[in-house]
Amino acid sequence: MSRFKLFLFIGALFCVPVLSQAQTRSIISNLANPAIGMSALFLGQAAPNLNQPYGIQFQEAELSVISTVDPYWTLAANLVFAADPTNGVPDIVEAEEAYATTDSIPNIQIKVGQMRTTFGKHGLLHTHAFPFIQAPIIMGNTIGFEGFKDAGLEAAWLTPLPWYCELTGGMYAPVSNDINGQGNHPLDFNSNAHDNIPYLGHLKNLFDLDDNTTMELGASALTGMGDDSLHHQVLGADFTVRNVPLNQSNQRGWILQAEYLKKVSFNSAVYNQETDGWYGSFQYRLSQNWWTGIRGEEAFNATPDLSVDPTENSLTGHVQRATVDVAWLASEFSEMRLDYSLARNDAGTVDNRVMLQFNYVIGFHPPHSY
Amino acid sequence: MKYAKAWILLLLSWTLTLPAFADLKVATSLSDLASVAEAVGGKHVSVISLCKGYEDPHFVPAKPSLMKAIQDADIFVSVGLELDGGWLPLVIPGSRNPKIQPGSKGFVDASEGISVLDKPVGTVSRAEGDIHPLGNPHYYADPMNLTIVADHLADVFSDLDPANAADYSANAKDFDGRMEKELKKWEKELKPYKGSPVVTYHENFKYFTKRFGLKDFGTVEPKPGIPPSPRYLDETAAAMKEAGVKVVLYQPYYDADTAQQLARKAGATAYLIPNEVGGVDEAKDVFSKFDYIVSTLAKAFGGK
Ligand SMILES: [Zn+2]
Repeated sequence: MSRFKLFLFIGALFCVPVLSQAQTRSIISNLANPAIGMSALFLGQAAPNLNQPYGIQFQEAELSVISTVDPYWTLAANLVFAADPTNGVPDIVEAEEAYATTDSIPNIQIKVGQMRTTFGKHGLLHTHAFPFIQAPIIMGNTIGFEGFKDAGLEAAWLTPLPWYCELTGGMYAPVSNDINGQGNHPLDFNSNAHDNIPYLGHLKNLFDLDDNTTMELGASALTGMGDDSLHHQVLGADFTVRNVPLNQSNQRGWILQAEYLKKVSFNSAVYNQETDGWYGSFQYRLSQNWWTGIRGEEAFNATPDLSVDPTENSLTGHVQRATVDVAWLASEFSEMRLDYSLARNDAGTVDNRVMLQFNYVIGFHPPHSY
Repeated sequence: MKYAKAWILLLLSWTLTLPAFADLKVATSLSDLASVAEAVGGKHVSVISLCKGYEDPHFVPAKPSLMKAIQDADIFVSVGLELDGGWLPLVIPGSRNPKIQPGSKGFVDASEGISVLDKPVGTVSRAEGDIHPLGNPHYYADPMNLTIVADHLADVFSDLDPANAADYSANAKDFDGRMEKELKKWEKELKPYKGSPVVTYHENFKYFTKRFGLKDFGTVEPKPGIPPSPRYLDETAAAMKEAGVKVVLYQPYYDADTAQQLARKAGATAYLIPNEVGGVDEAKDVFSKFDYIVSTLAKAFGGK
């Protein structure tokens, strides 16, 4: 054996275990991967007065990731893939949320990034957590059907008062309202003025009425300056009484909720009340698997959000709508929801719809707030 | 008068907030952990449990009032193994209390050091229901596991309150000693029924049956978190009849009608037992909880 061959032989002795290790190990670790989840919503709809074919459509899918960044920060993101409601084409991709939070400051939580701002009650909900398939009409006329989503910074202070009293302040980036009037971003905060920093104030109070029942009172205000150099502002008030019997927390309960929102614009000389409206709802849990609910609502000066037969009449102005809902939860991770809604305005335009929604969650999903 | 009552209720709800005079303010997710913390902490600690004993620990509503209740806590003791994973991710950050965030000294995972049963092998699938992916988290059903928790808590309390360290370790030793003594008594009471089968509502009793040599025959729910169908109840009842299973156990937060229906079909009897401290009035601490369980089982198996 030449010295060279011996060298190769000894080298091979060392290399074999190294190579066999290389096949099973990786220097790219996946141990600290974020928790990942996905939710998907499919919607079937029959609406005789709507200029759309009946049938099942893809509504949206939401990809969510969350992980601790380091001892100081947590990062969460929700990417939404949705169908354009006007034509059903699934070509909308939206960085709905991507924000960091810190819990290392006593009594104050800081949130920075792209977020769903802390306004009211319904405006905090992800689409798959809506208690009825459609968002209240007033949402689309004020902060948006899915709440006001923008980049910014929020600080939420849990005050030392003896009940849960939380005060949130936020400041955001100037944004324009959406031009196609889909009600996703109805607020014009698009002024180029240096002092246009849209800001928010939110107060949330929660009282335990007894072991099973809580009462929540909230107030919100969101203000910024528009392209028209007017201040645009949405004001909100919410009231919720919720009952969850502690010994049947997974089987029974009810939620009584009402919310009022108002959109105004003003400067030192003028004050316009643009639109306002409210909804009131009662949801009742019949068993582990069944929920039912009823909602009434009213919107004044509503803009064309409930587009009824676009070539003919639109359902705008003073609109009233009633919705009944039944939901069947096969497990914690899937849900089927059947809604019937009837809306009409002062001009006599009517929209009635039957909707069936399929709702699925896989992987990790952050728990929905109470 | 009506208003007066409402105000009294409001004031009562405020008392859930921890008092300020104790050396250590301890909050736990489960009443059993609170009972152990009280024994170990003695006069130096104030303790509250966020989940009441008659409340399903899997589904605690993440009420903001719970966040408020732990805003000033020094220590939070979690059951771990994701039993409280459905609500702690809201309640702990919501407290805005840096002392008890996971990763800080004040956040305790009480499952550390426990030999966990039912750890899933291979992949985890929700086709099996809402399973516990880290293994069975109901380890507090075995009295000896609580001595592990007591020792763990004594270490944490001593670390955060060194002035009283001697008391904490002495208290933990007392607790362990008492538990060992009581265990002998309970074992003696249940000895005649070794190997007897039981049906439980959920797989939350396995650590107990293993400790006392009873047999887990099955569960009222077909899969974790999935309510039983009439067909499943019929099949289970038939199997119970054939095997001579006479005892069905359920907790206050499970559907008593379903448990009793199954028992009736199988010619068995359904018994309400507290799996957690506070599940029935008699279960005031971990010792009286096991007293209640053991005497109920002895009566059930003894046919009295
Ligand atoms: Zn469980």
